[in-house]
Amino acid sequence: MQIRKILILALSFSLLSTFAFANFKAEEKFVSNFADNAISILGNESLDANQKNLQFTELVMSSIDMNLISKFVLSKYWKTASQEQKVAYLNAFEEYFISSYANKLDQYSGEKIIIVSSDAAKKFVIVKSNIVRDGADTLKIELDWRLLTRDGQTKIIDLSIEGISLIIAQREEFQSFLSNNDGNLDALIKKLRSINNKS
Amino acid sequence: MKSKLVLFIVLISFVASGCASISKDQLVAESIVTQKVSDPIESINRVVFSFNNVFDKFAVRPVSILYRGILPEFFRNRIAYSLDNLSMPITTINNILQFEFGKAGISTARFVINSTIGILGFFDPASYFGLDSDYEDFGQTLAVWGVPAGPYLVLPFLGPSTPRDFTGLLSTSLLDPTYQVGNSANRDLFRSYRMGVGVINFRSENIEIFDDLQNNSVDYYAAVRSFYNQSRNSQVSDNLEVSPSINQDNLFNDFEEFELDDTYVGPDVSISYPE
Repeated sequence: MQIRKILILALSFSLLSTFAFANFKAEEKFVSNFADNAISILGNESLDANQKNLQFTELVMSSIDMNLISKFVLSKYWKTASQEQKVAYLNAFEEYFISSYANKLDQYSGEKIIIVSSDAAKKFVIVKSNIVRDGADTLKIELDWRLLTRDGQTKIIDLSIEGISLIIAQREEFQSFLSNNDGNLDALIKKLRSINNKS
Repeated sequence: MKSKLVLFIVLISFVASGCASISKDQLVAESIVTQKVSDPIESINRVVFSFNNVFDKFAVRPVSILYRGILPEFFRNRIAYSLDNLSMPITTINNILQFEFGKAGISTARFVINSTIGILGFFDPASYFGLDSDYEDFGQTLAVWGVPAGPYLVLPFLGPSTPRDFTGLLSTSLLDPTYQVGNSANRDLFRSYRMGVGVINFRSENIEIFDDLQNNSVDYYAAVRSFYNQSRNSQVSDNLEVSPSINQDNLFNDFEEFELDDTYVGPDVSISYPE
């Protein structure tokens, strides 16, 4: 009886640990799938710049939690925004986000993403990876992915390049702009639109 | 020589005051690597920042473009590696000051191998032997000793800094053995080479990134400030063995609120915008 108990306990522990292990493996797989898909689009010579942009945007938008990101970077100003402002902001920010990489997709030159490890960070999972280039180059860039799983769906929340979190940088930028503009969200929306129209 | 004596005293007093906090205590460490933005003299910083941008626009950037345009990549890489190699002795000194003797051994080995087999540091055979080393400066050593960063500073010509990093920069220029090479005349020349080429080398590697940041930022000043603070925090996190992601987590604390927000627009609702 005693032995059976111990066996069951041991079994359930080992199941538990493989489950936890498998959990992060799923996130690692999510990142490597995303990277593979991105590379197959960026490295596809038969696509023109516009097609690349469309396909890449489709991939990105299905892999990140755009809504959560949009709200997070606006922080406290989201809470006081009117319904019209929210819609206008979400539109302007999404376009701003897309235009931030739109002209750079042709700069891809065979870099690869190697998954290093994954770790839980509060409710998030951080997948660590390296960007490496082929050849004799010893260059290596650390790229960390912050993932959040909600309702069974895993989404990218943030990218951290050499320890610099893009979502935190964006948030600080917006907070700084707003606090220097009397918290006027319309001014931020206008600014975003003017940058979007430039590019 | 006098300046060195002053520095020595400053160092000793730092050691004395810092020794108590040389523990890798998580809470202490996390308080040193604070992610909060401290910028009490923002209005002055912004003026200096604008000045630096003008200097960059008319001097540093054009020279960097010229440098990249004239020198083939092969030679630029050789210069980049040699600059890296010349920064190894000061890294070793900082490794020792941080009580990281294993790392001090690696950075020493790197310097010896790359200076000899790597032909004066123009090549990097040490990396093939698995000898990788992060660069350590005195600002990071001060952080390990428990000195907080202090408020954000934008220095004329030198750019983003903090009192801790500026102290580190001054000490580095006095402590660095590679600044003592040669007699006094060519020592200055050698220093100028390292400083000048170092700046141009860094700038030429980041022309597009800076252009892009400048053109597409909502607030360029705040973007650079965030990048600088985060980058330094990340380096210091490595030194203090604090996970930078755990540190960032604190900034994600109000995430929950947004998730629970009833005005949350689900990912299934598509947002259309004019092309």
